Amino acid sequence: MQSKQSGRLPDILKTFFKFGCFTFGGGWSIVAQIQKEYVEKKHWITDEQLLDYTSIARSIPGLMIGNASVLFGYQAAGVSGALAALLGITIPPFIIMIGVTFIYSVFRDNPMVASAMIGVRAAVVPIIISALLKLFRSGMKDGWCYLIAASAMALSLFTGLSNVLIVLIGAAAGLLITEVKTRHDLS
Amino acid sequence: MIYLELFISFALIGFTSFGGMSMIPLINDQMISHRWMTMQEVADIVAIAEMTPGPLGLNCATFAGHRTAGVLGALCATAGVLLPSLSVAIVAAAMLSRFRESRTLARALYGIRPVMIGMIAAIIVQQAMTNYVISGSVSPATVLIGAVSLVLLVHFKWSVPRTILVAAALGLALCRG
Repeated sequence: MQSKQSGRLPDILKTFFKFGCFTFGGGWSIVAQIQKEYVEKKHWITDEQLLDYTSIARSIPGLMIGNASVLFGYQAAGVSGALAALLGITIPPFIIMIGVTFIYSVFRDNPMVASAMIGVRAAVVPIIISALLKLFRSGMKDGWCYLIAASAMALSLFTGLSNVLIVLIGAAAGLLITEVKTRHDLS
Repeated sequence: MIYLELFISFALIGFTSFGGMSMIPLINDQMISHRWMTMQEVADIVAIAEMTPGPLGLNCATFAGHRTAGVLGALCATAGVLLPSLSVAIVAAAMLSRFRESRTLARALYGIRPVMIGMIAAIIVQQAMTNYVISGSVSPATVLIGAVSLVLLVHFKWSVPRTILVAAALGLALCRG
């Protein structure tokens, strides 16, 4: 078992490196690629396992795809498998971004680039809005959620409270409200 | 010590965000409060990270770290943002069933997800005030580009990179940098 597992490391590193090179548009496309490669082709894991990994990856902090890679890699080849998957998926975007940042720093003051960037920045708010619309469906379960969201927005806009702190308050509110609701349901 | 600060900042961002766009309000907050970047540069990060392969949060960390303190800065920021994957996710992998059925996690998330939504709504307001106002007055050209992009994204379901290319072309035609 051990030798079989460590034999998997080069495969994991190589495949996740490939995922890292060609993946646009966030975590879900990587999940789709894991499904194709390791569920359908290599049969290392089942669809149910992958579903578990993605749902856990979404509910613990950090990069969803980093977490999913670690969960998959650990299952396939232990801690070194987890590290191989994470390294593989991280290295290509890291190298590409170093290049891109360099180009950005050199060209951002060029008048044509600056004009194009004004247009690009005007698209950023719509990009965030469209992401928000998708989150709305999964995040807003009842009236309490709207109250929490509105309070978080107000705290973030009108107070000096750091967003890190606001998230912690949200976690506490979540625990408290669900506790009260369960007690209410029981009585 | 800028490297340690970047690492800690991005570790904080990592531990309090839950993937994708939920990282942006936290990154914005950290960048502005440390005076590492302007609001405009944060908008540039989002656009550039969406145009390049790889997860958004990772691209943002690399970009912000590199802009602030070179390649070593990028390395520290990336390590910071990956810390939850290297710690919580490994523990979760080792105790999979415990995490799968964790009610505490689900109950905390019940509060965290709406907070993310509220914070993202707040950053939309802040970014709009930066990106549609040029030297003190609302710029009609940028508002137009924003409206076109919104329709392309939400109504026509265009991909983000494709929409950004159109916005860049419109910026080139309509705006003066």
